[in-house]
Amino acid sequence: MNEEPATAPLPADGPLDGDPGLQPERTALAWGRTVLTLIAASAVCLRWLPDQGPFVLAMFGLTVAAGTGIYSTQRRRYRRSVEGIRAGHLAPDISAVFWTAGACVALGALGVWLVLS
Amino acid sequence: MPSTPLPPPGPGSRRSRFAEKLLPGGTEPDPRFTLANERTFLAWIRTSLALLAGGIAVEAFTTDVFPEPIRRGLSVLLLLLGMLLSAGSAIRWLRVEASLRSNRPLPLPLIGPLLAAGCAVAAAVVIAVIVLA
Repeated sequence: MNEEPATAPLPADGPLDGDPGLQPERTALAWGRTVLTLIAASAVCLRWLPDQGPFVLAMFGLTVAAGTGIYSTQRRRYRRSVEGIRAGHLAPDISAVFWTAGACVALGALGVWLVLS
Repeated sequence: MPSTPLPPPGPGSRRSRFAEKLLPGGTEPDPRFTLANERTFLAWIRTSLALLAGGIAVEAFTTDVFPEPIRRGLSVLLLLLGMLLSAGSAIRWLRVEASLRSNRPLPLPLIGPLLAAGCAVAAAVVIAVIVLA
């Protein structure tokens, strides 16, 4: 933890991360890796395009939308983590966790439906 | 950390009504633990995505390798395992977060044995197909 008071404003420039363990940065990178894996997993579906038609594109589009949603909130997520570390408490990001897990379950369910149809 | 009085909540630490309902009571854990729990969840999610990608790839790329019923069975097995792991990782994240809030020991990861058993079954099917071919 840093030595500054918890209420100190965030620096306008320079590194925002006040945590020696670089936890906000590592967490943001973990989200980034997850976006890449999500896109890669759904891109494999494109091999089905000649057999299954536009439905596969819709499936790919859904996961790309989920990935874009995560990517576009990365900056907010990182800043929120830094503020949480500085304040000493951080609300768990329930919606991000549930949306991500839901997108993966949906990808699997659509895959099962395609395999069995 | 829990022994020191908490400063007033900032914009990044305000709990939503949903959070109050799913994670009632307890005290705010060390934010580093919350972030570590989030990263662990993401590692599980990537594992489940690897299984989902494997399931899709088995069906899409192995037409010449496996007979159709085995190909479909293996694909559905991997996809179902990936789905269970995705849902399980969210549940585990929630249970760990609840344990952190109430200062209890962390729960055992039930999704670990699930992953091991599912992968063992999938590997056994592939080995059986290769041996019997």
